[in-house]
Amino acid sequence: MNEQGSFAALLPLVMFMAVMVGVSIYVRHKQAEKNFVGNYFIGNRSLGGFVLAMTTVATYSSVSSFVGGPGMAFQIGFGWIYMAVVQVTAIFLVLGIFGKRVALLARKLNAVTVVDIIRARFESNFLAAVAAFVIVLFFCGTMTAQFVGGAKLFSAVTGYSYETGLILFGLVVVIYTSIGGFRAVAITDTFCALIMMVGIVLLLHYVLAAGGGYEQIMTSIEANHPEMLEPFSFGNMPWTIYFTQWLLVGICTIALPQSVVRGISYKDTHGLHSAMLIGTVVVGFMNIGINFTGILAHGVLTGSPADYGGVDNIIPTTIVTVMPKELVGLAIIGPLAASISTISGLLIVASSAIIKDVYLHYKPNVESSRLRILSMATTAIIGGIVFVIALTPPSLIWLINMFAFGGLETAFFWTLLLGLFWKGANKMGALMSMIGGTVIYCATQAAGFKIFNLHQITIGITISLVLFLIGAYFGKPSEQKTLKIFFPS
Amino acid sequence: MAKILSFKNNLTAAEKFSLVRREALYTGLALAGLIIFWLIAGFGLADVDVKIFHLPLWAVAGSIGVWFFAIFISFILSQKLFKDIDLGGDGDE
Repeated sequence: MNEQGSFAALLPLVMFMAVMVGVSIYVRHKQAEKNFVGNYFIGNRSLGGFVLAMTTVATYSSVSSFVGGPGMAFQIGFGWIYMAVVQVTAIFLVLGIFGKRVALLARKLNAVTVVDIIRARFESNFLAAVAAFVIVLFFCGTMTAQFVGGAKLFSAVTGYSYETGLILFGLVVVIYTSIGGFRAVAITDTFCALIMMVGIVLLLHYVLAAGGGYEQIMTSIEANHPEMLEPFSFGNMPWTIYFTQWLLVGICTIALPQSVVRGISYKDTHGLHSAMLIGTVVVGFMNIGINFTGILAHGVLTGSPADYGGVDNIIPTTIVTVMPKELVGLAIIGPLAASISTISGLLIVASSAIIKDVYLHYKPNVESSRLRILSMATTAIIGGIVFVIALTPPSLIWLINMFAFGGLETAFFWTLLLGLFWKGANKMGALMSMIGGTVIYCATQAAGFKIFNLHQITIGITISLVLFLIGAYFGKPSEQKTLKIFFPS
Repeated sequence: MAKILSFKNNLTAAEKFSLVRREALYTGLALAGLIIFWLIAGFGLADVDVKIFHLPLWAVAGSIGVWFFAIFISFILSQKLFKDIDLGGDGDE
């Protein structure tokens, strides 16, 4: 390890992480002992509108939104913001389409996880096991990307080693998630979302100041980078990217299990309605704010992205260049908060997939104290495994992130959408869709096979639908008693 | 207020699910509206030679404009079209 950083740069992050752990311990202490599973995995359905909005946004916004995204905006220009702004749909779509239906069903079925609902809808333990496996597999990929992205950013900005960053924020997030469970995740996510917004405003302020003001920076961009003011960026931003991003980070995000599970966790519909509005305001502010800051970084970084080691280094270099030394530590908390909140949100859902969806299903009568230890240990073990993988970071980490996103969407989009809104959906359709779609998606990714140069999500989601419909046509219809629960008349 | 509470508590399970289905449909229609707005605000205005704060009109309409439109849509959905209902179970209001 090569430790050349200053402690001043480290102090704000250390304090932030200490607060996160403190919140987690407090939440654990306050939680009632009865109904441990409901408490630990969904916070006993007690989230209010503001916290629901913030935790949904924070889990959805990853470190790549704060590092890779604005780096690409620096390279592409306003076309990138035009593409990224499709993410304003993410919150109102998932809560508007699934929010109430999932909440009603969860209360009816006493469900704690999305897989519980899938199991009941399709009357299949095998499908539930496959769903749990898919969740754990792809979540591990996404979490690894968050660990690596966050630690690299930490190292570039503070001067401390990659490993120090990984231990400082990576290990701590695993600890506080393991201790506090879902409610702690939701509250710390809220802190993270707020600190992300503060970080964006702070960085924007210093970029504008260092670049000589907004007018000067924009005049320079107009003169030197006219392509940045074109939607197709003179060919750098083809229509295929717009199209696939609408699927990947827009429409299909409604089926991400980490977002849908929020529908189980809120207290009342008034809170849900508030969350739809607050979440849309916040997600738009973050997306436009950070990507616009990436473009304005041209005021301080005059070279091409390659001169700074690639697009991923644009934001770290900007932070180091424009921020006063005493504020660098504060500025890094925003992007790291994005990383932390995503990891914690995924970690608790991955843990619930193993404990609630698999272990408890086959061994329902477990002592409460044993269940508590098992749940916390499982969360810690999953986090620990991902932590170890991140110690030797795989290359192409952002591609792994998008790969995992697409895999989850392929597996769950039609299973949830058709399963919850179409009586004709059945077990065979769901099985064929989830397994076949995911396998074909992974195979096309591995082979690098594309159609019209579109991201493989287009293939995955199409095949997944076709298989679902074939299965629904040839398979046995769902039992009447099941349909009465899901479609009462 | 009493009317709202009465509405929330008097719905049968079938009525609740029917309402929720309708709200999901509204959300889908809102998405379609947003996609059309996004297309017009960005690509549709790309050739318009008007600048606002040094930015071409499409860049403003296609970013902040889309965001504001999404907020407007969320407001209409959540505050006007969606109804409060009793979810049942432990989490009742």
